[in-house]
Amino acid sequence: MEGFFSVFTVELLNSGIRLATPILLAALGGALCNQAGVLNLALESKMLLGAFVGILAAFYIGNSYAGLLVAMAAGGLLGLLFAFLYHKYKVDLVILAIAFNLIIVELTVFVMRALFGNVGSWSDPSIVRIPDIHIPLIEDIPFLGPILSGYNIIVYFSWLATAVMFVVLYKMRSGRHLRAVGENKSAAETVGINAVLLQTLALVISGMLAGLGGAFLSIGHLKLFTRNMSNGRGWIAIAAAMFGVNHPVGVFLASLFFGFADAFSVRIQNVTDLPPNLVKLLPNLATLLVLILIALRSKLALSMARRRFRAQLRAEEASAVAEPSS
Amino acid sequence: MWNQTSGISPEVYLKDMPMTPAIEMKGITKFFTSTHVRANDHVDFSVEHGEVHALVGENGAGKTTLMSILYGLVKPDEGEIVIDGGKVRIGHPDDAIKNGIGMVHQHFKLIPSFTVAQNIQLGIEPDPFLNPQKENELVAELANKYNLPVDPAARIRDLPVGMQQRVEILKILQRHAKILVLDEPTAVLTPQEVNELITVIRGLSKLGYTIIFITHKLIEVMSVADRVSVMRGGKMVGTKKVSETSIPDLARMMVGREVLLRVKKKEIQRGEVVLETRDISVSDVNGLAAISHVTFNVHKGEIVAIAGVSGNGQTELVEAISGMLSLDGGEILFKGKPIDQASVGERRDMGMAHIPEDRMVVGLNLQTTLDENLIVSRYNHSEFSRYGFLLMKTISDFAEKVVHAFSISAARPGEGISMLSGGNLQKVVVGRELSGNPSFIIANQPTRGLDVGSIEFVHKTLIEERDKGAGVLLVSVELDEVLALSDRILVLYRGKIQGELETATATEEQVGILMAGGTLEDLKAERREDEQGKWEVRS
Amino acid sequence: MNSVRFRKILDAILVPLLAVLSGLVVMGILILFLKKPLFESYAILFSNGFGCQAYGNCIFITALERATPLILTGLSAVVAFRSGMFSIGQEGQYLVGAATAAWLGYAIHLPPVLHPLVLILAAMLVGAGYGWIPGILKVKLGVNELLATIMLNSIAALVVEYLVQFPMRAEKSTTAHSPVIDESAQLLAFLPGSKWGVGFVIAVLAVILVYIYLWRTKSGYEQRMAGQSKKFALFGGIRSDSAAVRAMLISGALSGLAGAIEVMGVHRRIMTGFSVGLGFDGLTTAILGQVHPIGVFIVAILFSGLKLGAQIGLQLKLDIPRELGGTIIGFIILFVAAGKLYEENIVRARDWLLSRRGSKLKGESQ
Repeated sequence: MEGFFSVFTVELLNSGIRLATPILLAALGGALCNQAGVLNLALESKMLLGAFVGILAAFYIGNSYAGLLVAMAAGGLLGLLFAFLYHKYKVDLVILAIAFNLIIVELTVFVMRALFGNVGSWSDPSIVRIPDIHIPLIEDIPFLGPILSGYNIIVYFSWLATAVMFVVLYKMRSGRHLRAVGENKSAAETVGINAVLLQTLALVISGMLAGLGGAFLSIGHLKLFTRNMSNGRGWIAIAAAMFGVNHPVGVFLASLFFGFADAFSVRIQNVTDLPPNLVKLLPNLATLLVLILIALRSKLALSMARRRFRAQLRAEEASAVAEPSS
Repeated sequence: MWNQTSGISPEVYLKDMPMTPAIEMKGITKFFTSTHVRANDHVDFSVEHGEVHALVGENGAGKTTLMSILYGLVKPDEGEIVIDGGKVRIGHPDDAIKNGIGMVHQHFKLIPSFTVAQNIQLGIEPDPFLNPQKENELVAELANKYNLPVDPAARIRDLPVGMQQRVEILKILQRHAKILVLDEPTAVLTPQEVNELITVIRGLSKLGYTIIFITHKLIEVMSVADRVSVMRGGKMVGTKKVSETSIPDLARMMVGREVLLRVKKKEIQRGEVVLETRDISVSDVNGLAAISHVTFNVHKGEIVAIAGVSGNGQTELVEAISGMLSLDGGEILFKGKPIDQASVGERRDMGMAHIPEDRMVVGLNLQTTLDENLIVSRYNHSEFSRYGFLLMKTISDFAEKVVHAFSISAARPGEGISMLSGGNLQKVVVGRELSGNPSFIIANQPTRGLDVGSIEFVHKTLIEERDKGAGVLLVSVELDEVLALSDRILVLYRGKIQGELETATATEEQVGILMAGGTLEDLKAERREDEQGKWEVRS
Repeated sequence: MNSVRFRKILDAILVPLLAVLSGLVVMGILILFLKKPLFESYAILFSNGFGCQAYGNCIFITALERATPLILTGLSAVVAFRSGMFSIGQEGQYLVGAATAAWLGYAIHLPPVLHPLVLILAAMLVGAGYGWIPGILKVKLGVNELLATIMLNSIAALVVEYLVQFPMRAEKSTTAHSPVIDESAQLLAFLPGSKWGVGFVIAVLAVILVYIYLWRTKSGYEQRMAGQSKKFALFGGIRSDSAAVRAMLISGALSGLAGAIEVMGVHRRIMTGFSVGLGFDGLTTAILGQVHPIGVFIVAILFSGLKLGAQIGLQLKLDIPRELGGTIIGFIILFVAAGKLYEENIVRARDWLLSRRGSKLKGESQ
């Protein structure tokens, strides 16, 4: 089992954090939408669009950072379209998401092939990978240094986004309004809150975040674009949001869980015979468990009321027996 | 007029109550295209300053629509709203709030996971950054001002319903409401909480606040309102001073039927007991007693009516008997056998039929065909299915037979029923329920919303079944129907049987007093008064 | 066919038809963007998806074969949706069914007709079991079946991928795949050189059986009533809970069957990347097919024909990226979902059509 433990290095932590980043970004967006009461299953499409548009923009503009901004804009626009179709035409959220996912998966490859010929993936040597940042003082801290420093800007942005989302949702007025909309839309509207606006905002922001997450994959990591590059990460993000019960900190931890499982599974392959996919199974099973626990909790609450009533009845009967006259 | 002993601070007293009405709604008309319903038909409604005004009517009478228009949730097609003598345009709840109108809805507009203070402050927080401590202080102050104590830091979902309602009231007082509209405020309260609410309403009224409350519970109307307006079928029927009316009077206005001639009934041939409930209790969704310790029976060949204004446990009683709801205490016997564990299907197989209150959502499935609606209770009997397969031809023939037997116009086997009129829909329900030759029939508000012809049909059918030897449990809010059809009357009040009468010797006034919460003793006492002079409903 | 039935059918197909036409319009726009010939593109798309070449080689046959898994996963979605269960678990059930068939295909040895039969039954059983999980979770605990099936899909994908790469891995295989299943287990093809065979027949059979089940049996009746109106079902004595669970069992079995047929009739084994999203395609088929078995059948053929036409015709002959096919299908789904867009126009068109037929059905209410 020696080989097993050799996997636990700083390098694993670094890799885990990197792998968690696109998931974190998309999951934050997903959690925001859930808190606002709109289920956003189209994270996969926004990620993929961001990956594609981002790298294209980086190529045509000649600047990778510009590519990131364009990716965010594209994701945001897709989110806006999603919101528009949902609010104006009352399209079912799930079907809308399935349609978006399908269209984007195919359309991105279509455009890639239309532009660059019949290729399976595309890259260009002129594209600069987003560089890692080594923070001067922090990287020298003994234990934590290598863990906290050395990532590219997108990773740090995702941490910032987590913190900002926490503050906005729980310490600021707009965040409270958004949560109110998600919990009881008509109650929020009664006090004058514009639910449609807030939900649209949530969808746009989640699109921007997911788009950035996708750009991380193409410009920040692999430096290329290929069909279905996000490879189900959009769905993992949805699971991470669920697992983190839509709270920024929970989502952060859940994304790390998924990221580490991913990193772990890759490294474990090289070292032992343990099957990598089973490691990745853990966070998924955990999420399913969370779903079950949440459902159990509300079921228990409902039956509580009835059980109390029945206990009361029995108490009444008991006292009636003790004093037969009434 | 400020009551020094009530502890309410003087700032909240509304001075200078003018003589003009607080609210005048004139000629309000609203037609909903989505449901093809004229919810309000040239309605005139006016409320004086400082009065407690009840707006009553059956479900669908248009009272909620009228108040939704007042509150800006719905825009009227015609009509105008005048507040304090000045015409106003209310296109959005914000306009209503600006005019001093606040509304507490039937389904509370509260965020369960937020605290009391957060809910009260929602939407009017002064700063982008939240200050929970300040909010708590503000709310504590507010509660003090109006003597409506609450715990600002408590979470709404942990509070009892009466307290949640108090939060809703504070919410609108915080937004400087002078006119409070309460929609079905007592629907979910315990009797204790109802009394507390009545005290609050009286207190606010004394301070000069105007209070309108929508309800169909006539008992509360009599005990707290100054005036009452009755709506029916989208129209305003009339407005009376509470001191000049009574529960039966109001009930008649709500229902508006001409007194029907007593339907000819044969002498009662009461057979053995077919249904018996012993000490049954059922809780509602909030864990409160919907019905408690109810004991009665129904014999073959008789019609027993459960009279009472809706909301006193009729729904839960019917659902418990039919098997849709499980008992929390007591037992039910059908033909002598306990059926507490029996499913709905099993009870139907034993001979129980059920004509439900809501024919369109519960009694029928409007998305499917006539045939499929007609077999829902007996589709797995050998006449309609064999080896798991439905016998389509037999079912179709059966549908044909029912259509003929009950003269259901515009209905054809194999086609949908969503376009049928209320009366015809009820005929489909009745046709289905009676087709199995049931020995016991529950008829819950069977003539609600029907035209005269259909009503006659339903009455005739129920009497026929009774004469054939079935036991009928009729639940109805209409006294005329109860007195005309039943052999015995039980009055349900707040989940208990308030009293039992033999229809042959019962009078409307007697039923009325039971419905209002009076007792048999009062009844006896009152009967003596009856011979001497006029007699009034006690509140 | 009397005019009422005609109107009903018209109502059912009008929105999907318009959606398909709109999708084809989008296709036209994209083709123009690429500066490719417009009408030739349409012609090539259809002839290469649905047509027959002169020398008797019908590409339509391939379309039928490719439609087989879509039909089955589409039926799976139909059964679930009609019972009120919004399950998108077809993907996971498909995978476990495929893995089961692939494994039993080489692990046990049985004579020709028996072997495939056992494989099919086993795959359906496992698929049903996997469908049972979200069903029972919903009914007993109130777990949202949409979210549960999303998670179960991921779990199935991971487990099956593991199985392919380790326990079931054929020796000396560079990209992981299981050993080829016994010949006795393979499904017959009707034509040499094509994979179209018994699988398609099974799919057609399934369409008929699902239709009969839903509209002609007690059990199917219960499911539809429970799916349309829970209150009505409760009132009438139908046990909605067991109906919902039964629906998930059948739904899972159908998707599992789809997986088994893909293994037995097409690939003869299971490999890495076996799942190409066929489960989701089944969903989209059901949506466009108005959640009806016959609709599913037609739409499945339409979708596979479109994809084929794009793959073989547009890509090879006009050098248009074959992803156009998938893109158009995505747009069609979008248009179907946004049906309200068409609503006013449909009412106008329908009234016009009916007035031409001289029927006086307008305003027939009592």
